[in-house]
Amino acid sequence: MRNRVKEQRAAHGLSQADLGAALGVSRQTVISIESGRYLPSLPLAFRIARFFDMPVDKMFDPEDEESGS
Amino acid sequence: MITFIPPRLRVPLLYGIATLLFAAAWVVRGGKTWWFAILVIVTGFVRVAVLYRGGGTDTDAGALAGSRADERLKVVSTRSWALSGRTAMIASFLGVTAAIAVRAEWWWPFAVMLVLTGFGYLFGLSNNGFDSEDQDGAYAERNEPSPSRR
Repeated sequence: MRNRVKEQRAAHGLSQADLGAALGVSRQTVISIESGRYLPSLPLAFRIARFFDMPVDKMFDPEDEESGS
Repeated sequence: MITFIPPRLRVPLLYGIATLLFAAAWVVRGGKTWWFAILVIVTGFVRVAVLYRGGGTDTDAGALAGSRADERLKVVSTRSWALSGRTAMIASFLGVTAAIAVRAEWWWPFAVMLVLTGFGYLFGLSNNGFDSEDQDGAYAERNEPSPSRR
């Protein structure tokens, strides 16, 4: 599943530590989410989407999984 | 009770208590090797200090040692504990099976471990919502369409 966390974080000029602090997770978790190694829980996905003022389905794109890749 | 203890102290404190219990067992055992208890205490408390120091670092290991795991680390930790429990269960099963095969008298510690890990698994299932009936299932049982399908 692709996500736009890294792109949005960079656009807002935030470090991974800043974003982690704002979301209540560790810097390592932000790194894992950005790289796609960790799929966040639904509450955290919503927190991320709300933080960047985006719909959750725009922030997290399941297209890759649906196409069977 | 553990919530009254500052998070960073919890893991080191548990490790310290385990160290003291193990050292006490050596003292109670007596004999010529009682001095091993001192070695256990010294190495144990060095480990406690390392855990406390590590609990303040900005790493995954530091977050676990400092009891401040976020949701990802809780998932990772839970999976590791699950693997640990599965390993213990398989090992105890192999142990009790081997003990039976050679008619050994040391079968029962393996049997106790097997029962405990099995009970832990079943307790975990019931505690985490195994076989909980959802609303649609309840409607299906009464042969009624659920509100979402009306």
